[in-house]
Amino acid sequence: MMYSIEVLITNRKNVRDPEGETIHKNLVLKHGYKNIVNVRAGKYLLFSVEAQNAENALELVKNLCLKLRIYNPIVHDIEVRLHD
Amino acid sequence: MPLTQDEIKTIERILGRKPTQEELAMFEAQWSEHCSYKSSKLLLMWLPTKASHVIIGPGRDAGAIEAFPGIAIVFKIESHNHPSAVDPYNGAATGIGGIVRDILTLGAKPIALLDLLYLGNPKDHHANWLIRNIVKGISDYGNRIGVPTVAGDVWFDSSYNRQPLVNVACIGLVSKQKIVNDKPEPGDCIIIAGNDTGRDGLLGSSFASRPLSSDTDKDIGAVQVGNPLMEKLIIDFLIELVEEGVIKYIKDLGGGGLTTAISEVMADHNLGAEIHLDKLHLREDLTPIEILVSESQERMLLIVNENNLDRVKAILNKYEIPYSVIGRFDKSRRLRVFFKDELVADIPAKELAKPHVIRRMYRPPIEALKGLRDITIPLPRDMQQAFEMVLSSPNVASKRWIYEQYDYEVGIRTVIKPGQGDAAVLRLLDGTKRGIAIKGDANPRYTYLDPFRGAANSVAECFRNLVAVGSEPLAIVDELNAGNPEKPTHFWYFARMVKGIAWMCDELSIPVVGGKVSFYNENEYGQQVKPVATIVGVGKLVNIEKAKSMDFKEPGSYIVVVGITYPELGGSEYLHTVHGIDEGEIPIPRPVAELKCAKLLQKLMKHEALLSAHDVSVGGLATSIAEMSVQGMLGVDVDLSKAPIRTISRLDELMFSESQARYILEIHEGKLNLVLKETQDLGIEVGVLGKVVDNGKIIFRYLGKTIIDMDLQHVHEVYTKSLDKLMR
Amino acid sequence: MTKIAVLKFPGTNCDLDVVHVLKTTTNLDAEVIWYQDFRARKFDAVVIPGGFSYGDWLRAGAIAAQTKAMGEIRVAIDMGLPVLGICNGFQILVEATLLPGALLSNECGYFVCKWVRLRVRRPRGPWLILLEEGQEIDMPIAHGKGRYYIDEDTYMKIASTSPTIEYVNENPNGSSFNLAGLASPNGLVLGLMPHPERSAEEELTPRGKIPGGIYIWKSIELSLKRGW
Repeated sequence: MMYSIEVLITNRKNVRDPEGETIHKNLVLKHGYKNIVNVRAGKYLLFSVEAQNAENALELVKNLCLKLRIYNPIVHDIEVRLHD
Repeated sequence: MPLTQDEIKTIERILGRKPTQEELAMFEAQWSEHCSYKSSKLLLMWLPTKASHVIIGPGRDAGAIEAFPGIAIVFKIESHNHPSAVDPYNGAATGIGGIVRDILTLGAKPIALLDLLYLGNPKDHHANWLIRNIVKGISDYGNRIGVPTVAGDVWFDSSYNRQPLVNVACIGLVSKQKIVNDKPEPGDCIIIAGNDTGRDGLLGSSFASRPLSSDTDKDIGAVQVGNPLMEKLIIDFLIELVEEGVIKYIKDLGGGGLTTAISEVMADHNLGAEIHLDKLHLREDLTPIEILVSESQERMLLIVNENNLDRVKAILNKYEIPYSVIGRFDKSRRLRVFFKDELVADIPAKELAKPHVIRRMYRPPIEALKGLRDITIPLPRDMQQAFEMVLSSPNVASKRWIYEQYDYEVGIRTVIKPGQGDAAVLRLLDGTKRGIAIKGDANPRYTYLDPFRGAANSVAECFRNLVAVGSEPLAIVDELNAGNPEKPTHFWYFARMVKGIAWMCDELSIPVVGGKVSFYNENEYGQQVKPVATIVGVGKLVNIEKAKSMDFKEPGSYIVVVGITYPELGGSEYLHTVHGIDEGEIPIPRPVAELKCAKLLQKLMKHEALLSAHDVSVGGLATSIAEMSVQGMLGVDVDLSKAPIRTISRLDELMFSESQARYILEIHEGKLNLVLKETQDLGIEVGVLGKVVDNGKIIFRYLGKTIIDMDLQHVHEVYTKSLDKLMR
Repeated sequence: MTKIAVLKFPGTNCDLDVVHVLKTTTNLDAEVIWYQDFRARKFDAVVIPGGFSYGDWLRAGAIAAQTKAMGEIRVAIDMGLPVLGICNGFQILVEATLLPGALLSNECGYFVCKWVRLRVRRPRGPWLILLEEGQEIDMPIAHGKGRYYIDEDTYMKIASTSPTIEYVNENPNGSSFNLAGLASPNGLVLGLMPHPERSAEEELTPRGKIPGGIYIWKSIELSLKRGW
């Protein structure tokens, strides 16, 4: 079966995120949206996976992203989820 | 590196009591190898640092020379080896950030960057990932701050597969009278401007002072992410301030964070200071210790006379740069640190900033015998194939894959661009034709086999490259990358490299105006990488229109080799690539010949007798000629037996020996006699090898036989695309 | 005295380069204007130079395009002032929808810095008046996000009404229809990825290349004197 797996890559919590900070400070706040407290930036990937079941698909993508260094575990957090 | 028991006892003695947590953290950050050069200080004193044109030598955040009357060139080199091994993209990027800020501390405008990379084998999966990301990190950061990366050096060797060496250098321009170097005085305000301080990069210096662990999660606290936008704003703001002359002293917050920056100023100028940590703009809640040692990027320390404070604040506000006034200097000679009115540290600044030095022992390892061996190898049956192997080797082939990722034209100063000549040439852009030449060089194989000679040869190679483009070499900075200084067999390489640099600089009369040391470049098994002495040199040109690139320009012109070829294949690219051997006696450094040849080239350029010039180094004579041919897309027909030699008995020795003090020159047809006369007057041996021919071929002859007959288009393909193929 | 505003955003890098070229190759006066201080009515033409405004964060030119300064650029255009966007300036004009299309990451995935050959089509307006139909010139590019995207229908319209600049021989970034730049139908607003300020002087031009930027600077000099 085909599964759509979403991968979200962001900087780890204690690592700076200058992109998010700049969008927040120079765009969002400058235009008066004072109740936006924070902005994080990241990368979004969508994998179409042929797999037996959803768990296998998720597992496959998670491992692939680590092995191929699609994200760098030293600085990135990764969220892998099923896209419905 | 945690403090030793001895060091803690010393601290107790200095303070006359047990230290607070904050004080311990400050000593640890400051006394770690990276910040304080405990192991290297004594040996670095070998280096010649004085000359009439040196304005500021080693000791400040950057060195400065007077290149032209009233015009100062500020330059420095730095390494970011350990962070780049763990996070190559951000490690390399923040390396660029740091070196640029060092140049800013003297009030200079950064006008050029160099990247000097010692990387692993591109065929190794991990090394390939490191290479890609290191280059991308430099590209993304350097391009964004608008400073062109104009030259560099790249070397590929398996010993760097997991421990790359990332050295970066920056060149800045400032008028001599505007150099920011006023003595800070009691009452002066201390401002921190730039990024808010955060938890990132805690104890980063300590991280660079120990071998990388195999548990990468432990290394995470030491990885920082750069913000090139903030860096660019800092550059713009400082240039404006320096123009107005309202700033007394600038320091970069780098290794050791706030602690190091403040204590260094205090110690240098016999001052005390009162700092209030709670006044510092922060990203998140931090403890006093964290604030003191955090190495958050893109922060500068500014010392301003009270009267100029408002003006400085106005310009900071214009550029929307966050800042805090955190304290003042006083006469006390003690660094007193407060956090919300509580005194958390009270240290005599001089003791913090200048700790004792350690005299390290050294002795050569058995491995060092490799550099003394005689090598016997068979003569390749197919010389053309051997030649092609050398040309396509990543250490020889075009580095276009790398430099096209760097904006090398921003600033509109770059006259000789990457790939075009032996060094980058930049015009000053001051309404005159004056300019400077910049180049960086090193050879890990040489310094591994014979650290003394190898380092000396790197100085010579840099010198030759500056001469070849038509500049007068003025000064160098050096970066020494070595293993674990606590191991005598590693430290031996460092000691020998320093002495080699010192000797060659003395012989060539080139002062060393700055430098850095990176230790602990070893893997988790305690094996050191190949040690490297990276040399970055600056030369001056009175007229950049006379600068010489290396591409052949005119069919019918003569190809002349200057200097003697000896059978010196030890440690050569040919030996490595064709025979798989990394051993042997490396080429002997020849300072007297280097000076003579430099004089010759300068004379010939004055007479306008040269069309192109290229020094001979990695890959030997044959490679240099091919490179000039490929750059100009003009063929050659040369007889190698015309080259002046000493005891050469084989063709491969002639083609690929890496003997020092040699150049290939393209001489206009009508000027040959003039050239021959000048060489005779100076007592230099030359050989007229042949001519540039528009025949689309590279032809080498030897003793009557044609030994190389290659299609120029094919050689161009091989030379320019080899690295592409490995990386894409 | 005819004055050209060279706009500077946080992260703009090529402002001083443009001022230098204008001052040394033309008799025009030029000044770097900080984005918050820019007022269109004080000037005769505007250049938005290259660089990385706001670090290229979010999208290249996206944040700059939302500043009040862009409002002043619209005023400038309404007033009939020539506007030139170079590299990041082109990205800003496109993000602000003052020129059609979009600029995306280079197809090859890398930043590319090298000299390229260009061809000018339907040159008209203050920036291109000295160029001829089909003329070929060289300029350097230096960008990571220069892939110009435009749909076929819009391109068909442009190809019959507006000046365009195309890459010749080699498309370095995968741009639709090999477009390196384009202008509004009357040529008043021109945007291009290559750098004319880096190709206006012989001493910076590699051997065998034709410095193309000088045509743009001489064109605006002539146009501001004589009209276009």
